[in-house]
Amino acid sequence: MNWLQIFVTVVTLGSIFGVVTLSLNLQYARGGMINFGIVAYFAVGAYAYAIFTQPAPQGLDQYKFGFGWPWPVALVAAATAALLFAAITGWPTLRLRGEYLALTTFAFAEVFHSFLLNERRIGNGTVGLANVKRPISDWGPIEEKYVFAGAAALLMIATLLVFRRLLRSPYGRALDAIRDDEVAALAAGKSVQRMRRQVFLISAIPIGAAGGLYAMFTTLAQPSLFTAEVTFIIWIALVLGGERSVYGAVAGTFGLIFFEEVVRTWPFETVRSAQIAASVEHIVTGLLFIAVLRYQPFDRIAERMKATR
Amino acid sequence: MLFLQFLTTGVVTGCFLILATIGFSLTRRVEGFLNIAHAELLGVSAFATWWLNAEMGWHVVLASTAAIVFTSVTGLFVARLIYDPIRERGPAVLLITSTGVAFVIGGVIDALIGTGIRTLDIGLATSYEPFGIRITNYQLMVVALAVIVSVSLALFLNRTRTGLAIRAMSGNPELAASRGIDVRTTSRATWLLSSGLAGLAGVMLAVLATLTTDLPFAQILQVLAVAILAGLGSLYAVILSGLIVGIAMDVSVYWIPAGYRPLVAFSVVILVLLFRPEGLAGTRAA
Repeated sequence: MNWLQIFVTVVTLGSIFGVVTLSLNLQYARGGMINFGIVAYFAVGAYAYAIFTQPAPQGLDQYKFGFGWPWPVALVAAATAALLFAAITGWPTLRLRGEYLALTTFAFAEVFHSFLLNERRIGNGTVGLANVKRPISDWGPIEEKYVFAGAAALLMIATLLVFRRLLRSPYGRALDAIRDDEVAALAAGKSVQRMRRQVFLISAIPIGAAGGLYAMFTTLAQPSLFTAEVTFIIWIALVLGGERSVYGAVAGTFGLIFFEEVVRTWPFETVRSAQIAASVEHIVTGLLFIAVLRYQPFDRIAERMKATR
Repeated sequence: MLFLQFLTTGVVTGCFLILATIGFSLTRRVEGFLNIAHAELLGVSAFATWWLNAEMGWHVVLASTAAIVFTSVTGLFVARLIYDPIRERGPAVLLITSTGVAFVIGGVIDALIGTGIRTLDIGLATSYEPFGIRITNYQLMVVALAVIVSVSLALFLNRTRTGLAIRAMSGNPELAASRGIDVRTTSRATWLLSSGLAGLAGVMLAVLATLTTDLPFAQILQVLAVAILAGLGSLYAVILSGLIVGIAMDVSVYWIPAGYRPLVAFSVVILVLLFRPEGLAGTRAA
């Protein structure tokens, strides 16, 4: 087992998915919105990045758009695309509450996934877009993987700082007020609808950027990378880390990605045992999820710490 | 002609969806939450049938009966162990928890079965061609079972004590309890019934399709589509919505590529939630 390699991968992927978990934390724990289609916004970012950096189609390529633009522009485009997608999907769905919102966002994600699979003109259908451009391959003495880990960690820390700043401002307190008692917040002159929509849009921006970074890291934008399972993994990470704390969201994601990476890189003797290990990983993840939801250990610890302070 | 063929297949798909959704809808009515893990119960039943039939050499009727009973008990067990203790935390937490349950059941099936495709040992389907429309005996069986299940469920819910108790509980649990209905027994009866129906749908899945371990969970998308169209509760509306979604998906193949079938189902969901969130049947429970 190459623990250094695992560590670097965990930092990279953990940070990328950590950004998504943080955004989901903002939507769910603060905005009270159950988004069961979070993967779609991530996928939009990844595809936008791929499309903006890909060279114009040639030969067997079935995709119609490839702009061949430099990566910083594409990264901005990824964040913007996710924002636009959130505006389009949020406008009709945010009127709905609770499980209805969960189902509609889930439905939107599935429609988008099915669209990516079938519409070859966007991203080659099932094949996806391969060889997504990475910035520069020569970083001097530093290996490329460390650069990626650093970039991902930077994006996550930036997201964390911005969100924390936002939540500690009067705006954040207004959000908490809406979550805790909508009628009272309404009576105090807060527009519940508008604030919910704002949170939904704001949180989509870092998800899009993370999607772009993910496409850069894997050099691939393919429908099979963006299934409902990603949504569930993000939810599990969020719940594992305790819904109410931003650090918990990050810790939960890192823990889960570490666990997955170890299982993935473990040197198994046979294909069958690797298969079983992958299934057991699912079982353990699911069990942890159920147990954490039921006993809420992290919320209790947080409460106790608050009480003693 | 081709159009009529797609329409016929659509009816068969619709009947399968009715079987798969009725249990889901029943849980939603009585227990008050969307059980995402319902789809994995289809898998439990489908692979139990496959194992007993193809591996152990049981006759398919015996194997499927055993599988349905097993699924039914599994459903009740999961409910008692996992859902009951967190009932008071509300439908959202139950919904999220049920995705965890789906993960666990799916993982167990994956670990036990592994990858590859599986088929039951039941021989090839015989096809008939009345009026030039092709339909197989297995497809006819799905249609017949959907009719039988719908009718007997309607009779059960309207004529028997337990059935009436289930309906009372879905209407208003507190009132039902105060009128002397044993809420716990009724809840358990509902879990047995809805999981058993998932089991039946799972057997149908095994009969109609070649099984892979990710197939059962893929059904949740269509089940949700039907349940939402039906208004997340009403049982009679499930029958109508099942047929609408099934026919819409299969007939759409006439105009657009077959890969878009799930997209059609989900466009239905989005349209319904946007324009008529209460579903076809409205707020009135059937």
